Amino acid sequence: MFPLTDQQLHNVLSTALNRGGEYADIFLEDSHLSSLELQDGTVSQAQQVMLYGAGIRVVQGTQQGYAYTMDLSPEALQQAARFAGSIPGTCTAPAIPTLQPMPQLTPETPMLEPDASKNILLAINRRAHEISPLVIRVKATIAQRMQHIRFVCSEGTGFSDNRPRTTVFISVVLQKDGKTQMGFGSRMYQRGAEFITPELIEELLQDTISQAQFLFDAKQIEGGEMPVVMAAGSSGILMHEAIGHAFEADFIRTGESIFTGKLGQRICDSHITIVDDGTQPYDAGMLRYDDEGTPGQRTTLVEEGILTSYLHDRISARHFGVQSTGNGRRESFRHMPLPRMRSTYMCAGEAAEEDIIHSVKRGIYAQTFTNGQVQIGAGDFTFFMKKGYLIEDGHLTTPLRDMNIIGNGPRALQHISMVGNNLKIDHSAGICGKGGQRVGVSQGLPTVLVDKLVVG
Amino acid sequence: MNILNWAAEEIIRVCGNVDFKLVLMLNNEDDINIRNGQIEKMLHASATSLAMNLLIDGRDGFFYTNNVQPEALRLFIRNAAETTRMLEPDESRTLADPSRYYKGEGADLKVYDATLSTIDPAEKLRLAQQNNQEGLLLQPNLISFQTHYSDRQHRAHYLISNGFLGYEESSRCTLTCIATAEGADGQHPADGWGETRIFFKDMPLEGVAKVAIDRTLRKIGSKPTRSGQYQMILESPIVGSFLQPILNAMNGQYLHGKMSFLADKLHRQVLSPLVNIVDDPLIPGTRGACYFDYDGVATERRTLFTEGVLDTYFIDTIFAKKLGMKPTTQGTHHLVMQSGEQTLQQLITNTENAIMVTDFNGGNCDPSTGNFSYGIEGFLIQDGQIVQPVSGMNITGNILDVWQRVTALGNDFDPWETELLPSIVFADVNFGGL
Repeated sequence: MFPLTDQQLHNVLSTALNRGGEYADIFLEDSHLSSLELQDGTVSQAQQVMLYGAGIRVVQGTQQGYAYTMDLSPEALQQAARFAGSIPGTCTAPAIPTLQPMPQLTPETPMLEPDASKNILLAINRRAHEISPLVIRVKATIAQRMQHIRFVCSEGTGFSDNRPRTTVFISVVLQKDGKTQMGFGSRMYQRGAEFITPELIEELLQDTISQAQFLFDAKQIEGGEMPVVMAAGSSGILMHEAIGHAFEADFIRTGESIFTGKLGQRICDSHITIVDDGTQPYDAGMLRYDDEGTPGQRTTLVEEGILTSYLHDRISARHFGVQSTGNGRRESFRHMPLPRMRSTYMCAGEAAEEDIIHSVKRGIYAQTFTNGQVQIGAGDFTFFMKKGYLIEDGHLTTPLRDMNIIGNGPRALQHISMVGNNLKIDHSAGICGKGGQRVGVSQGLPTVLVDKLVVG
Repeated sequence: MNILNWAAEEIIRVCGNVDFKLVLMLNNEDDINIRNGQIEKMLHASATSLAMNLLIDGRDGFFYTNNVQPEALRLFIRNAAETTRMLEPDESRTLADPSRYYKGEGADLKVYDATLSTIDPAEKLRLAQQNNQEGLLLQPNLISFQTHYSDRQHRAHYLISNGFLGYEESSRCTLTCIATAEGADGQHPADGWGETRIFFKDMPLEGVAKVAIDRTLRKIGSKPTRSGQYQMILESPIVGSFLQPILNAMNGQYLHGKMSFLADKLHRQVLSPLVNIVDDPLIPGTRGACYFDYDGVATERRTLFTEGVLDTYFIDTIFAKKLGMKPTTQGTHHLVMQSGEQTLQQLITNTENAIMVTDFNGGNCDPSTGNFSYGIEGFLIQDGQIVQPVSGMNITGNILDVWQRVTALGNDFDPWETELLPSIVFADVNFGGL
């Protein structure tokens, strides 16, 4: 797959550190992505993308030189190494030990044959129309990616890995009384397509169609500050936007994050524990090794209300004198690693969901979301609620839709007053963007009550 | 071109007499990040890649690879042919009518800096360092001051089997500054400013840092204000975001999917009579200028809105067939909105109870109804004066309703953008806050 010997890679690392530098690594990638799409009742669209190349990085303190090439000849890699090693002000480089034998982590997972994908998509279309006569349009996609990686670094270590990822995505358009509504659902795992069972398709279709039906009767209400009950599951976007990004240690190192300097401090109530986990099998954020060779692990960010760790890559870990938490991730060989989330969730508490809802006089129950974002420095986050309910006197009443929820990370954490006993990880196709790079993540939350957020 | 010809011959050898589109892209990029006077990142790369559409008996597959070695390409084409044959036919998926192809008679559009990849990276580094130093001297007490320089040189050769050979080239250089300051209540407000040019020689040597710092410092102490109806001044750099749902609704894909609030609205008054927008890709020296689109179809000046009347949809070859409509274009290239007479400051002075929105923070617009909710930040204006920075608020409403309530246009668009949109004043917009 990669026509390079250990000695050739060793030579490239030597060239990279020829002018000095503390550390160098090479990230080789051969990725195949394929997708089939059903639209208008036929499987008439296919896409395949092949990415092949190597990224070479030299690190000196917090400075990085980087170059990538699609030509994996020793000469092309040497040239890329020379540019990566040209960052000024580098110190004397360490000796590079002989490269150790690399663990081959995962046997290659067979990808679904196009014919099999096509049959699944046609079954999705048939079943959608059976479930509801209101369905006028079905779009469904099965996408598979196999990423082959070889990684070596100037510490003499490295790994090879095969990273499969399969996504199924369904959207439906329903028409009623001349009006249309859209529902969508997806699943994404780091495995082959064996999880796409008839039962899963039925569950996804039922959810997706009922979501669209719900929207015909749902409405927006006048906005303002109010209590928000976040339903278990996709409300994990609260963990991702309000907390996760601001815990990424590059933003801590530069002082930009609102959580800078809060390590060891109480930032919320003692019934709250939050983790970022790279060890959940098949999860979109699972990492056996991260993209700079640190073993996958589970990191507790907040333990019983105390901020216990940030999310580190090699550079931030070295800056703070701690071990990397294995959060160094990159989209492809074209990109430098950055601290990124994996699966970020709040651990379950003790309250029953119905008790949480009953405790609210007037507020909203937010159930499903589409997108969100955060301003790291100000801590202001936002996410868009697609489906929810008004809560009046402790009961769910009016169906709600299309409302933006805004809050401030630290304040929202402080205003979480109840945590449910029903943690649910959301395995929808979660793609997180940062610095122009997109990586797969998941998120989760038990039902929680946030005493006040701005809804509109 | 050798790769393209080789690939074309290989397709014919493997698939016989089929239709195809090949685009060979050659890109160069440099990327430099300086923070607080220190180099943080330097990236340099050249990339070659091939994009291919295969159309076999009404079946259409899209394929992309960056491994253009002959052996890899041979395998790539063979797999692509197998995958495409497995698809079901879709009669609408054809190449464009050759009579619509660009014929190659246009003069140089002046959108490509051929020297960009030959400029010593050290010179680009100096520009970024100089800019970063300017910012640190202006405001030494910032938490972080970051300068990001990036450039991209793009060339692409097209070969379409029913009679199109084309070549396009473009470049851009961008200098962006982001300042983060110590704010109130432990907040770290941040904002930035960026300038983009086609030619490196036109890059601004100073001034970007100051704008970024001023924009950050004015945000200190921001907080939500009371909910209610306000005039909204939308600042020029973000007008494009507020226009985008309308451009989406003009797209054939949305119309065909029955998810467009502009369906059946062609030639009807949908926006304020003050709104006049054209797409003009044929102005030399402007970003986005091009002679043909990704299908090889010749571009032309196209009126989108005349005094608020919707003049066209974006209908490409495929959706023209699906919708039974005449094809127009795939989308916009260089958008120009007719501007007004007033500066941004004059727009502010002439409002009484307004919020100037300077950035969006999340939100969505329903493509079938146009109902939207967006998070915003900006400044509360009373009697023509900025009185307080605001954040943590939403605006809600129907996008067409709001665009029908345009009351004034500024004259402050950035001529170096691909969308030339001035600041705009809207009446009676619902803001949700305290």
